[in-house]
Amino acid sequence: AQIGPPGMELQPTNGAIKIKVSPPEANQGRKMWINDLSFKYNLIFWENSSQAQVQSKNIFPVDTIDDLAPDTTYCFKVQANLPTEGKQGLFSPISCVKSTQKVNDPLCAANLSVLALNMKFQLLWDNQEQPQVNYNVQYLIGYLKRLNDDYSEKWLSVPRCENITHTWCNVSSIITTTGFYFLRVQARAGSNRSCLSREVKVDPLKTNGIGPPGVRLDISDTLLHILISPPGGADFEAMRDNYDLSYRILYWKNSSNEEEEVRQKEVKQTIATVPELAASTLYCVRVQALSQVYNKSSPYSQQECIQTPADTPLPLLIFAIFMGALLAVLLVAMPLVFGLYQAYSKIKYVFFPSCQPPLNIEGFGGQLFSSPYLSAAEEPVENCCVIESMITEEGNQIDFKDYKHSKQSSRDSGNYSNDDNTSGSKGSKETLEKEIL
Amino acid sequence: VMNPFGLIQIGLILLCTTSISSLQCNHLPVQQRKVIEKSLQLLDKMGKKFPQQCLREKMSFRFPVQALQPRQKETVTVAIEEIFQHIFYIFSKNLTLAAWDGTALDQFQNGLYRQIEQLEACVIKKHTRYCWSKEVSRLKLRKYFQKIDCFLKDKQHDLCSWEISRAEMRRCLQLIDKVTRKL
Repeated sequence: AQIGPPGMELQPTNGAIKIKVSPPEANQGRKMWINDLSFKYNLIFWENSSQAQVQSKNIFPVDTIDDLAPDTTYCFKVQANLPTEGKQGLFSPISCVKSTQKVNDPLCAANLSVLALNMKFQLLWDNQEQPQVNYNVQYLIGYLKRLNDDYSEKWLSVPRCENITHTWCNVSSIITTTGFYFLRVQARAGSNRSCLSREVKVDPLKTNGIGPPGVRLDISDTLLHILISPPGGADFEAMRDNYDLSYRILYWKNSSNEEEEVRQKEVKQTIATVPELAASTLYCVRVQALSQVYNKSSPYSQQECIQTPADTPLPLLIFAIFMGALLAVLLVAMPLVFGLYQAYSKIKYVFFPSCQPPLNIEGFGGQLFSSPYLSAAEEPVENCCVIESMITEEGNQIDFKDYKHSKQSSRDSGNYSNDDNTSGSKGSKETLEKEIL
Repeated sequence: VMNPFGLIQIGLILLCTTSISSLQCNHLPVQQRKVIEKSLQLLDKMGKKFPQQCLREKMSFRFPVQALQPRQKETVTVAIEEIFQHIFYIFSKNLTLAAWDGTALDQFQNGLYRQIEQLEACVIKKHTRYCWSKEVSRLKLRKYFQKIDCFLKDKQHDLCSWEISRAEMRRCLQLIDKVTRKL
């Protein structure tokens, strides 16, 4: 498919020509090239004279052609291209216009330049006229030029750069790392005179200059530690991320008599170590920050030097080590040996006693548990008691009661008889039982 | 007799496999990752949380994932460039009803624009454009963005249609982020 011709409008203004290009199929309902913002316009123009040199320029949909000879007729034609597809469109019809006289107003700010260090952007310009000129710095966000609309109303004033009389201004407040910006200066004198300067394009990460990093040195044993503080300090954190910084370290021995070779080391981190240092030597270091992604380098940092300590003499070292070892032995080995000896003696005492039992109880060796203290066998002891029985002539029955009677009868004189067991005898029984009991 | 046109085709395909290295283009993946990271942040920043009332109108657009897995590895860069162009176009007009943060939107567009310029420079250098234009998934990609554009037009660019489109673009950028990390 072929890209159709774009539309073109020309407007001469003050020595320059303003061009407005309308994309192909601009007024069509159904479009083939839906994304009309993806076109890139190629302008071809030449002076309408016999030996005209044809010039070619890539332009935005709304753009200005400067540096034209005044009062000259120029002819233009433009095509819309899709570079990523390698497609080139048809040219618009040729249109010719005469340029106006350029009024070189000395009021206008000229030679705009941008200086940037560690993402602090400064715009500088020249003042051609006498003082009493008020300046107003304006900026435009880059992508607006890519749109098909006229962006002249979209310029904004940079804060703290309005109505100033000096020819510089800090524009960092509006600059971010995301994309391009355009800057221009409007000069005013009195109430009716004003002039707009040319524009300058700023690509922040490309335009910015990286400042030198900070360096600190430290020595421990035979190692030199180089501590790098990144450029710009805390503010620069986000930019550091974009630049993907690495550091180049230069170090050398600074001795007064001979020229020493300068050694180099590249690191990504902010700390580096140099091993195997010579004693009693002055070492000097300089560091530079690099961005491989943007092909940028910072200036070298200030030179920092440090002296390595003197070496300790060898005999003294040997003696010190010997004494140290001796002390260690005394402190550690002696308690250990003592402890071991104690343990040994205890074990020996318990399991292998050195004293022998006396000779007279030697026999007991085999009958250790047949103790001489066992009680003797008990002789059977009988608990005997004598029971006396009395046999009387009178009767076969021997009655205990009778015996009692007989005892009583010995005292009493024949009051009682065998036959008669009446109450009288009962009473005396009771008293007898009490006596026996 | 061999067709001379066929020879040209073969020659161009061989050209696709050569790569002219330039310092800028070698670091492109690194740069791109940062741009996408920043773009996602800005997409989130420009508006609030997805409004509940718009859930009803949610549409499935189905991003053609094959577009980011072409046969030639180098053409991924061209695919990404085209996707950025489409996103840039979608977010360039009729944004009044979306009521998003103007500064965040400006920065988002500005970032896309800068990255498009970088990618164009590298693509032209590497001569990979021929390979991409033959990819079938390219048409699917165009259809995808056309669908979103039509959706916005049908809804007259109201708040819900913008919020749905913003969520869709977020998903799209996340896919590109995944692919860029592998480069």
